[in-house]
Amino acid sequence: MQHTLTITTSNEASVVERLLQVTRYRGYQLAGLELTPLTDRAGMQITLKVQSDKPITLLTNQLAKLYDVQHLVLASADVAVLRA
Amino acid sequence: MNGAELVLKVLQQQGVNTIFGYPGGAIMPIYDAIYHSTVKHYLCRHEQGGAFSAIGYARASGKVGVCLATSGPGATNLITSLADALLDSVPLVAITGQVSQAVMGSDAFQEVDVLGLSLSVTKHSFMVRNVKDLAATLQEAFRLAQSGRPGPVLVDIPKDIQLAPAVEPEWPEYPAPRIATSLANAAKARELIANAKKPIAYIGGGVQMADALAQLQTFLAESVMPSVTTLKGMGSVARANPHYLGMLGMHGTQAANLAVQQCDLLICLGARFDDRVTGNLAKFAPGAKVIHVDIDPAEINKVRFADCAFIGDMKQILPAISATTQCEAWLAHCQQLKQQYGWRYDHPGERIFAPLMLKQLSDRMPDNSVVCCDVGQHQMWVAQHMRFNSPRNHLSSGGLGTMGFGLPAAIGAKLARPQDTVIAVSGDGSFMMNVQELGTIKRFRLPVKIVIVDNQRLGMVKQWQQLFFNERYSETDLSDNPDFVALAAAFAIPGHTITRKDEVESALDAMFTWPGPYLLHVRIDEKDNVWPLVPPGAANEDMLTETN
Ligand SMILES: Cc1ncc(C[n+]2csc(CCOP(=O)(O)OP(=O)(O)O)c2C)c(N)n1
Repeated sequence: MQHTLTITTSNEASVVERLLQVTRYRGYQLAGLELTPLTDRAGMQITLKVQSDKPITLLTNQLAKLYDVQHLVLASADVAVLRA
Repeated sequence: MNGAELVLKVLQQQGVNTIFGYPGGAIMPIYDAIYHSTVKHYLCRHEQGGAFSAIGYARASGKVGVCLATSGPGATNLITSLADALLDSVPLVAITGQVSQAVMGSDAFQEVDVLGLSLSVTKHSFMVRNVKDLAATLQEAFRLAQSGRPGPVLVDIPKDIQLAPAVEPEWPEYPAPRIATSLANAAKARELIANAKKPIAYIGGGVQMADALAQLQTFLAESVMPSVTTLKGMGSVARANPHYLGMLGMHGTQAANLAVQQCDLLICLGARFDDRVTGNLAKFAPGAKVIHVDIDPAEINKVRFADCAFIGDMKQILPAISATTQCEAWLAHCQQLKQQYGWRYDHPGERIFAPLMLKQLSDRMPDNSVVCCDVGQHQMWVAQHMRFNSPRNHLSSGGLGTMGFGLPAAIGAKLARPQDTVIAVSGDGSFMMNVQELGTIKRFRLPVKIVIVDNQRLGMVKQWQQLFFNERYSETDLSDNPDFVALAAAFAIPGHTITRKDEVESALDAMFTWPGPYLLHVRIDEKDNVWPLVPPGAANEDMLTETN
């Protein structure tokens, strides 16, 4: 199943590596990645698409606790599926 | 003042007076600052050893451990210890020197992408790019290492930042961190506990790390139930508690494993359902509802579904979920399991039986001694046959299972708690993995007691070869070990070898009576194995014992 995460991060150089490393290590396949730097180098807006049969919360819980991750939301379609 | 001197200022401001490390080119400015500083630096003989000493220091004291290494090979030597600290949730700050920013990214001499290398073995890694950020970054590293679920944090500092002029910042007053704790599920948990016929508490290292040992004893006194601990939780339950069943898992006690398999309510406190604990997960505590308490939200439902979960401060949660239990028959049943499967120390022949020797060691060691283990059969025998009154007194590499942990961890523990006796229990294989740290013991005349349990084998691997690989003993023979007593003597550490049961007690007395460091070399039979054992893939009730 595919999931879309919208993540706001700080502007640390290693943040994308970290996100991808956790995603790979926890066993989720990358299905899309888009980065937009926020104005004034305040951080980044990242859209991460992943594919896995595992519950997505196992990944979001790990990503949410990363130091650089300021905000993380699961696309509402996913949340609806989760609740179903 | 330059950046390097500012690093030392921050350490002082954080209350750090003991650090471990090894110098080299890219960190020389910091070592130059150490030369004049009141922060005491302990020179290790390998960066892995230094970082394990910092871990031992942290685990024995509850403070943050600090270690230093130079760029390149110095920093790569830290990686194993960072992984160890991550898996055992140890607050550690590792400071590495990096080549100057002008040459970074050019494959400069001793340049390694330490930040990239460390990402998967730290809670977070920082690189300082501007001397203006140096103090705040280091302070943040200390805060992060201790907050929430503790862990290792790396700060990589390029040499030009160390040499850059720096000004002492205003030291902000950090408010004590508040841990968000929701007690919304408390009524549900109390109901589960009150209605359980067969409840059991499964206690991990998190309870002590939350400083909630007192709350745990109260909880177990109010909600009377049997309890078991993980390797890291050992020592959490007061010795006087009659319902404690010992360690659970692969080499746990039969009583602990059987009781957990049979329980109808499993209250997991600061533990994480590690596979060494659960055995075959699908068959683990199959009839149990689960209450899970942890500070790390990512642990909830990671391995085992929790019917009722709490995230936050153990100190607040334990009193809130306490409820009177009604489980007399279950308590009696568990008592009976404990009696039926008690340890036996009768062992034929004259040779030393390690479980008995360790029990004798446990009975003889002064109160509040710290025991640091290595990894293998001896580690499991320590967990089975020694008693501790706090997890701070039993330092064992749990999550990573790192051979070479014991000796340097003991150095750190001794420096953290100079008044307490510190004993390193090692195997003949593990001891050789950080044997160079005998040099650190010698230099600082640290009165660490070393007990080598020598079976002339990589015993734990040999046991698996015997049981699961048809006795093909591939590369586990160590019968050409060095003369350990002579080796210790080369570091001015006296020692003694024993081979017979009747020598044990007087040898232990001699070791404890000797005021300085001492090495006791204990030869045991290579055929002795660790029992019971849950074979890989089996359920925890299917334990192998010596007789089956
Ligand atoms: C760094 C490292 N390498 C390899 C292992 C795998 N391993 C686990 S136990 C063990 C044998 C340990 O032998 P020894 O220290 O003599 O202890 P014993 O089991 O004989 O008591 C080995 C090789 C490990 N845990 N750590």
